[in-house]
Amino acid sequence: MNKETKFIIGRVYFTVFGLIVLGIGIIEILLGLTGRSFEYGIIEISGEFLLWRGVILFSAGAFYLSGVKNFSDIRQYAKIVMASVMVWIIAGMQIFGMILESIPGGEEGGWFNTLEGFLATYSPPYIPSLFLLPFSLVVFYYIKLIEEPRGEDKNKRGNSSVNRG
Amino acid sequence: MKLAIDERWNLIDKIAKQVVKYGTYRSTLKDAIEEITVKPLTGIPIAIAVLYGFWAFFGAFAGFFTDGFFVKFFDNHWLPWLQGVFPGKGGWLYYILVGDPTASNCFEAFGALTSGLFVAIGVVLPAIIAFYLFLTILEDSGYLPRLAVLIDTVLHKIGLHGFAIVPMILSLGCNVPAVAATRALETKKQRFMMAVLLAIFIPCGAQLGIMLEIIPQYVGFVMIYLFAGFFIFGFILNKLIPGKSPEILLDVPPYQMPIGRNVRGKLWIRVKGFFTVAIPFVLLGVIIVNIMYLTGFLGWLANVLEPVLCGWFGVPKETVGPLIAAFLRKDLAVAQLSTINMTIYQLVTSVILVSLYFPCVATFAMLIREGKEEGWRGVLQYLFGSLATLTAVVFLWGGLIHLVWIILGVV
Amino acid sequence: MGDPNVGKSVVFNRLTGAKVMESNYPGTTVDYTRGYMRLDGKDVEIIDVPGTFSLEPKDKAEEVAVKMLRENRDSIIICVIDSTKLERGLYLALEIIEEGYPIIIALNMWDIAKDKSIQIDVKKLEKVLGVPVVPTIAVSGEGIKELVSRIKEASPPDIKRVVERAGGVK
Repeated sequence: MNKETKFIIGRVYFTVFGLIVLGIGIIEILLGLTGRSFEYGIIEISGEFLLWRGVILFSAGAFYLSGVKNFSDIRQYAKIVMASVMVWIIAGMQIFGMILESIPGGEEGGWFNTLEGFLATYSPPYIPSLFLLPFSLVVFYYIKLIEEPRGEDKNKRGNSSVNRG
Repeated sequence: MKLAIDERWNLIDKIAKQVVKYGTYRSTLKDAIEEITVKPLTGIPIAIAVLYGFWAFFGAFAGFFTDGFFVKFFDNHWLPWLQGVFPGKGGWLYYILVGDPTASNCFEAFGALTSGLFVAIGVVLPAIIAFYLFLTILEDSGYLPRLAVLIDTVLHKIGLHGFAIVPMILSLGCNVPAVAATRALETKKQRFMMAVLLAIFIPCGAQLGIMLEIIPQYVGFVMIYLFAGFFIFGFILNKLIPGKSPEILLDVPPYQMPIGRNVRGKLWIRVKGFFTVAIPFVLLGVIIVNIMYLTGFLGWLANVLEPVLCGWFGVPKETVGPLIAAFLRKDLAVAQLSTINMTIYQLVTSVILVSLYFPCVATFAMLIREGKEEGWRGVLQYLFGSLATLTAVVFLWGGLIHLVWIILGVV
Repeated sequence: MGDPNVGKSVVFNRLTGAKVMESNYPGTTVDYTRGYMRLDGKDVEIIDVPGTFSLEPKDKAEEVAVKMLRENRDSIIICVIDSTKLERGLYLALEIIEEGYPIIIALNMWDIAKDKSIQIDVKKLEKVLGVPVVPTIAVSGEGIKELVSRIKEASPPDIKRVVERAGGVK
């Protein structure tokens, strides 16, 4: 597959992904404003800062959609990178919170959680950002692809030791 | 021999031409990201995401240590043990150090060794570590100055330039170094304004930590109310105080990967500062308030101030105790408020009052020290200027929240 | 001494092993700090000062820097320059040279200059200025050893000679 085809696939991919992120953002904003929550199967849209998470996802979706134009230009692509970073912040903090929550025992329990309690913390439902996380990782592949041809004339970082003259 | 400024620049030009060569330079992903994080349209959503990360991290980290372990340790082990072994139950020494012998948790006991240690170590320490860890990473990565550029426009409205954000953010950790950091501002007017506004309106990390513990669902509201006050009174001060607020060009450093050693070092300096300053003050605060209570002074003062507290602010007269404690430590004061019987709205009002009404002793001393930098007149200006601003703010901004509750019909 | 946010405090911490707050934004240091290091078997005092663009101070922190310079007439100045902003750093360096202080220049953030493919001919710069010039990456410690070993080479160059070697001021 040549590079052009890969870029076209990337554009389609991020357009679709961006639309999904944007949509979830809108739903979260609406639920956040009305103070309601939503649960279906393994997805739940609820929890603290729902409105803010909605705003962040909505913006991330918008970044994806505006970044797919002139996709291979690094300045455009940076928007897609930052959109992914925003998704990672939400998902990452969710995972971080889950890990910290799983370790200590409950209010009446012992110092540490029981094994069941520990595992129960990680069971679904999850917030949408956790599902978005793996799909946003594709961003790394295209960073590599876009930076590749320009990498040649650049000094490799490892050689930048200090030599006089 | 001295050169004129033009000559110096000409000389630099000549030297630079001989020694510097610019290679072909293509913009990298880093440059592109640097650009979009400062442009408002893309920068503001990114800033919201980063601040969200900040809060989520802060809450999860502090909750892990405080709710997960320290509450259990202090309430189930430390308090019963101390209540059992401490001699002279009901005596004054017992009351000062251990507190209420019937208390079942460390918030209520209010002894130096119970509530004092619990607040300092159990609640505030984790909050401080979480806060400084995140702050240090933001600083070293180079994101913080970009946030400054973004907020610049807003700050200009109150006569401060974007770099005033650095003292502001430092202030969320502790007001003392923040007041010192105002020295980097250019004019006396700016330095005074910023130092006073910070000391009054910005709650420190210790206070944030305890607020998250006591009124988690209202912290956002309290913060917004305080920040709104910051800008409104900043705007007024900017009009009232003579002097200039010149523009400054600020230089945004490149993004860098934070270095572990650096982050650890800075975190250590800041946490050490907390241990040496905060813990003695918290213990002292508990002891002073307890002595005042035992001698009956507190009760007398509460009755004297009752018309003001109940009438103007709509809070119970018992809040006078926490207000005294707030001279020494705000975190202690907020913890103490939680044990007073009142409605949630009164609690929010009194938390706001505690934040506003007087900077803690350490901050106030720092304010006066900054005034001293400008000579003895500076001391007087800082002293009376800050006290005047303080009084106005407490009665207006503190009273306003009571008015809001009245209008909403919740009191 | 040096411009704001060029890494003076990082260099200082490297030299003295002290712990001064260092951050990636200008204005971290608003007061001076004293520290000590061993140089040829003697304890030498080093002073870290706030950043300043020139010797005509614009704010309190810069005043501190200039005051420290004037109060310590017999000191050697380690002038830290951001390699990516050589011109701006040289301005301060030249001012210090004109005042007749012995000076050594640390071209800090050498790695970032390399990333931006800015090449500085260090030997040539040394020759023109007549002072030791050492490229450093203070955050990782590269070049600091050489900086220390060459401090004693620092001597006050005559600004007239600098002008001659550079080819005039017109």
